[in-house]
Amino acid sequence: MTEASADILALITTLKMAAVTTIILLIIGTPLAWYLAKWQSKKKVFFEAIVALPLVLPPTVLGFYLLLAFSPTSLPGQIWQTATGSQLAFSFSAIVIGSVLYSLPFVVQPLQKAFEQLGDQQLEAAAMLGAGPIDRFFSIVFPLTKASFITATALGFAHTVGEFGVVLMIGGNIPGETRVLSIALFDHVEAFNYANAHLLSAGLLIASLVLLSLVYLLGNNYNSKRVKAINS
Amino acid sequence: MNNMPLPNKVNILSESDNKPSLATLKLDFNLAFNSFELSVKQTIDLTAITGIYGDSGSGKSTLLRVIAGLEQRVTGNLSLNDTVLQSSSDKSVIKPEKRQIGLVFQDSRLFEHLNVYQNLAYGAKRQKSSKLNIEAVLALTQLTSLQHQSVSGLSGGEKQRVAIARALLAEPKLLLLDEPFSALDKTTKSQMLTILKDIQRQLKLPMLYVSHSLSELQYIADQLVMVKAGELSQSLGIHQAIHALNSVADSNPKTSLLLTIAEHLPEYGLTRLSFGMTDESSIYSPLLQNSMSQQTMVQQLPCLIYARDISISITKPEHSSIVNHLPATISKIEYGKTSALVTLTVNEQQFYAQISLWSAKRMALTQALSVYIQFKANAVHTYHYKELVNNA
Repeated sequence: MTEASADILALITTLKMAAVTTIILLIIGTPLAWYLAKWQSKKKVFFEAIVALPLVLPPTVLGFYLLLAFSPTSLPGQIWQTATGSQLAFSFSAIVIGSVLYSLPFVVQPLQKAFEQLGDQQLEAAAMLGAGPIDRFFSIVFPLTKASFITATALGFAHTVGEFGVVLMIGGNIPGETRVLSIALFDHVEAFNYANAHLLSAGLLIASLVLLSLVYLLGNNYNSKRVKAINS
Repeated sequence: MNNMPLPNKVNILSESDNKPSLATLKLDFNLAFNSFELSVKQTIDLTAITGIYGDSGSGKSTLLRVIAGLEQRVTGNLSLNDTVLQSSSDKSVIKPEKRQIGLVFQDSRLFEHLNVYQNLAYGAKRQKSSKLNIEAVLALTQLTSLQHQSVSGLSGGEKQRVAIARALLAEPKLLLLDEPFSALDKTTKSQMLTILKDIQRQLKLPMLYVSHSLSELQYIADQLVMVKAGELSQSLGIHQAIHALNSVADSNPKTSLLLTIAEHLPEYGLTRLSFGMTDESSIYSPLLQNSMSQQTMVQQLPCLIYARDISISITKPEHSSIVNHLPATISKIEYGKTSALVTLTVNEQQFYAQISLWSAKRMALTQALSVYIQFKANAVHTYHYKELVNNA
């Protein structure tokens, strides 16, 4: 396999991992953010801290514990093996699970803040008009917090693309399965292949910049539209 | 509605008894907060519009939230007509969205991401059998010309009209209104109260209207329930309830009247109103009709006269600029520290006059004495809206 085609394979693996991770994050992160926003208990602080852990913890710490959990000799690893017939550690599923945990705060925090700001007023009004909880979420909450969903999706995706430590610990370096861009880049540097390292680095830098600019552009547009509507 | 007609309670005092009850609300619940407890055990026969009156913090808004199902920690039993809303025996609670009760909030709570029409459609769409259509309700609430506007650009009065229209389209069996017009200026408030009364008459929808303004309630409600420190009073006819609040210690005793518009006298700038058959039961108020001589139908108009605006004369005050003077009989005198509250009767109608203690002594007023009461046309207050709006 040429260097270039190996890098393209790593790019595809990365995008696949980030996309699957982001979808899973939105599915579990939205209800999690909702409960954290609505929960009126002091115990809530503890769960907020757990969600925020990946922000401060070295990714290798998370990766180390996950590696232990995913090994065929530990209970989660065994359950996975009996359920799917394949080993969890060093698989695509492993890096997706790792990424979900690692990028959790980037999705949960903006959503939680948005849900807290939204308050209960509009939801109570909707309930009095006959809308049930799921209906209220899609007809009121989602349209009013759309900007935060865009931010959460983009941050979750971008952060997953850029991850290194967790994947290195639990994914290994299997082309087409767990070899992602950040690891490919590390390999190039280790082999003193700076030309390819430059290509990947610049590529990741520009792609991330473009993605983040788009997010802020969308957010600004949406906010200024709302401000204009409120002031008119 | 499929509820059975209710046997009329024998209660001679209540003026609302001759009006048909539109619904029955049975309340027997308890709700405790840190520093406050709302404890209610009462059945309210809902006529047209039932006013809920109380100071801020008395629990009247919480009462509406309990009926709506928005307070989750309520214990007890609640039912509307034959529908059990909450039962303590089998621990069942009907969720707010299933109660078919509408609630208009003080702060409108319109959906910002939807325009006027879409806000109205929100309630209508979630209704299985809709009798009302959006166009008819837009016309009823005078919103037709605003239907495509964004709700954030609306004025306070317009927002509340949208909130009411939206609630109506969800076709509730009972409409709750929580100080809906308290933030509006007097003219807009008059207009809104007139529209709301009209809606009630057309749709025959029972309403519970919460307010801390007695004059607002006097105009809109036909019976009144008072909330004080988390407890409810029995409902009384509105005029009787207001008179029951009068005392010499009260800062604002008043006479509450239901008057019939007899004739408009634009050449004098007055309207003649009457509360009885004879000429001696006429009251003149400032002209209640706008310049365009619309022939308004005979209508009944709730009016208030503050006791401080009524004075008493022993002789007939013929040589006075004051328009209204009526022969009256003193039925009661209550003495306070600086003033006296005199209850008088004119053709079976009660009036209240607040005079200085000095005057009461000087004139040697006693019970059963025949006197004259007098007050300016300007002392007759009503929320009657003069310009009947027709922008639909």
